[in-house]
Amino acid sequence: MKKYLVYVLTFMTVVVLGLAFNAAAEEGITDTEIHIGQWGPQTGPAAPWGAVARGTDAYFKMINEEGGIHGRKLVHHYFDDGYNPAKTMGGVKQLQEDIGMFAWVSGVGTAPGLAVKDYLMDRKIPWIGPSAGSRHWIEPPNKYLFNTYPLYLGDAQLLCKYAVETLGFKNIAIAYQNDDYGKQGLEGAQKQLAKSGLKLVAEIPVNVADVDMKPHIMKFRNSEAEAVLLFVGPGHVARLQGTGKAMQFEPQWMTSTTCGDIPLMMAITKGGYAGTILASFGMMDPTAVGIGNIEDVNASTHPVLKKYHEEAFKKFAAKEERWGLTFAAGMGYVEPMIEALKNCGRDLTREKLVAEMEKIKDFQGIMGKVSFAPFKANDPSCRIGQTTVFLAQATADAKAKVLTDWVKTEYIPMGK
Amino acid sequence: MDRKRDYYEDVQIFTSGTIVFWSGVLILLLSIFPFIAKNYYVYVANFMAINVIVVVGLNILVGYTGQISMGHAGFFAIGAYGTIALMTHAHFPFLLALPCAGLVAALLGFLLGLPALRLEGPYLAIATLGFGITATQIIGKIKMFGERQGLHAPDLTIGSWHIETDKDFYFILIPITFFLVLVARNIIKTKVGRAFISIRDADIAASTMGVNLTLYKTLAFAVSAFYAGVGGGLYAFVLRFIEPELFSMFMSVMFLTMVVVGGLGSIMGSVAGACLLGFLDLQLRNILEIPYVGDWIRALSESYFTLTGVSNIQLIVFGLILIIIMLFEPLGIFGIWIRFKKYWMTWPF
Repeated sequence: MKKYLVYVLTFMTVVVLGLAFNAAAEEGITDTEIHIGQWGPQTGPAAPWGAVARGTDAYFKMINEEGGIHGRKLVHHYFDDGYNPAKTMGGVKQLQEDIGMFAWVSGVGTAPGLAVKDYLMDRKIPWIGPSAGSRHWIEPPNKYLFNTYPLYLGDAQLLCKYAVETLGFKNIAIAYQNDDYGKQGLEGAQKQLAKSGLKLVAEIPVNVADVDMKPHIMKFRNSEAEAVLLFVGPGHVARLQGTGKAMQFEPQWMTSTTCGDIPLMMAITKGGYAGTILASFGMMDPTAVGIGNIEDVNASTHPVLKKYHEEAFKKFAAKEERWGLTFAAGMGYVEPMIEALKNCGRDLTREKLVAEMEKIKDFQGIMGKVSFAPFKANDPSCRIGQTTVFLAQATADAKAKVLTDWVKTEYIPMGK
Repeated sequence: MDRKRDYYEDVQIFTSGTIVFWSGVLILLLSIFPFIAKNYYVYVANFMAINVIVVVGLNILVGYTGQISMGHAGFFAIGAYGTIALMTHAHFPFLLALPCAGLVAALLGFLLGLPALRLEGPYLAIATLGFGITATQIIGKIKMFGERQGLHAPDLTIGSWHIETDKDFYFILIPITFFLVLVARNIIKTKVGRAFISIRDADIAASTMGVNLTLYKTLAFAVSAFYAGVGGGLYAFVLRFIEPELFSMFMSVMFLTMVVVGGLGSIMGSVAGACLLGFLDLQLRNILEIPYVGDWIRALSESYFTLTGVSNIQLIVFGLILIIIMLFEPLGIFGIWIRFKKYWMTWPF
């Protein structure tokens, strides 16, 4: 009888411990897998940005081929939301509640991201590297949300500083998209120029639906602008530069990180992009002389970038995929998370991931240096991530001539 | 079979005991649904219910009055922004802000209905399309509405009930949807509804019979806009964040497609169309997970489409479903239902 009692007690202990272990196990993690979610438009007008998710996917496959992270493979679940926040919300809820994601990465667009931000933060689910430089990610800061995309404010500051101090221009104007992205550019430019006692000579809003750029160019010409900052999408850059050329107005054009894919920009502007000064968040090594653009990997001395091209892109990308900035950015946004996951060790929890993310200091992969700090509810800088950008100039053969080293930009809170 | 033999039979909301019985069953099933379904499906149900409200309203205009609107996303946006603005700036409670925002949309619908008196067919379609585009452009320039940067919905409380989850919101949304569908059915069975139908069938004859075309055409626009406005107000709280680009021309086209697929001039058809297309809109993303079919579609996509082919296939399948419904049943889902009913009621002959 005693013997049976021992068996029963042993069995019950195993069951209870098993249940306890099961209850303690973190959502989205098994002994062999870590489930990571991501959304991104593969269809619709924002589809070109879909390469971000495909880049992340190839990067995760490369990591898995190298043995995964502490014996676990990364299982990447990404879906097409068509840049429609209702679909983003639906997809995130389904993946989170059906399968259970350990964390979310990247995610293209401010509006889709804002639709799901509260849902993820309320459940204390880490979200790392949103694919948009919005201040909404850090104002107010969230313990579980880590931004890695440099804010557009910084682009505008650096471009204005360069225009005034290096090129000696005094008349600077801006065309800005009438949304969060464009307004950050406007604010950054205004604040930077004020430091030199200057003001923008023209501030022209551009709506997404605007087609005719002649009135905009007329205003720029009347303002005698020597340099024009373009905080608009690639399509409007092409229109503004094309119309400017036709109207014989060719100032020094300057663009943000969103137009950093030089070969793409050269193609859509039919070469008009040559000479444009652009802010860049990475993918090139600014300290190397004569570096090519991202497509020209063989000319690159960037060892990490070369590795990603060989080990991720060539092996795992679809044969029609283009090795470009957007695809590589999908890897760059999530590099810090991979670093943190490695530092977590085998005993992985969300809290531990957050703690390791907070320890990241001056981490550099294919983007600029990324640093985080322990969470403080009133200090957005603890979640900004990358604060450096550098300037390059597009050349006529669709390459980049690097103009500056990495430059640290100043964070300006909304409305200050 | 469905011929009415007297006036009172025509104005009944529930035409038979069977319908009352099945309506009761539906209410019961809807009541227990959030307790047995996963939260994601409750979200899908909420999304479908909002589509039902808008599409039932749009059918009053398109299906019953014979007018057309390609700008309902504009009214939807006005309802969404109006509800949030009334709650945050005027401190209206949700249940007051929602109909008020609907009334604002209705007023604009009435105003849009005035020029519509002189327009019909494609001309009216273009005029309403212009309204839809203009409405979102104007909203995108108003500071109180967050301009292009969008607005967050405030916390939602009704009395001491703090509504946080999809399940909580479901219990607000479904009764509102039920109520508005019943009101729409009732409108159609009144003098107003008969006036709408007479305008659709022969407006000159209707006018000769004493139907005030100005009044009823603008009223149809106003009622339809009210429904869209209320739907928009609810949508703002399902998403919790809105921005002008959400309310695109595609959204207006989608609403109109739901009306046509459901069946013009049928309330129940609108409910079915809104549910089917709303569901497909969210769920076709998972098409590759269907056993066998998913693998076949993946292989097809990889062979004949580009690298984003798998995603594009969702839209192709969506389009195919629409074409098949329209090809085989121009009366939409309602037509399929009528055939089905007729078959069983006359069986075995």
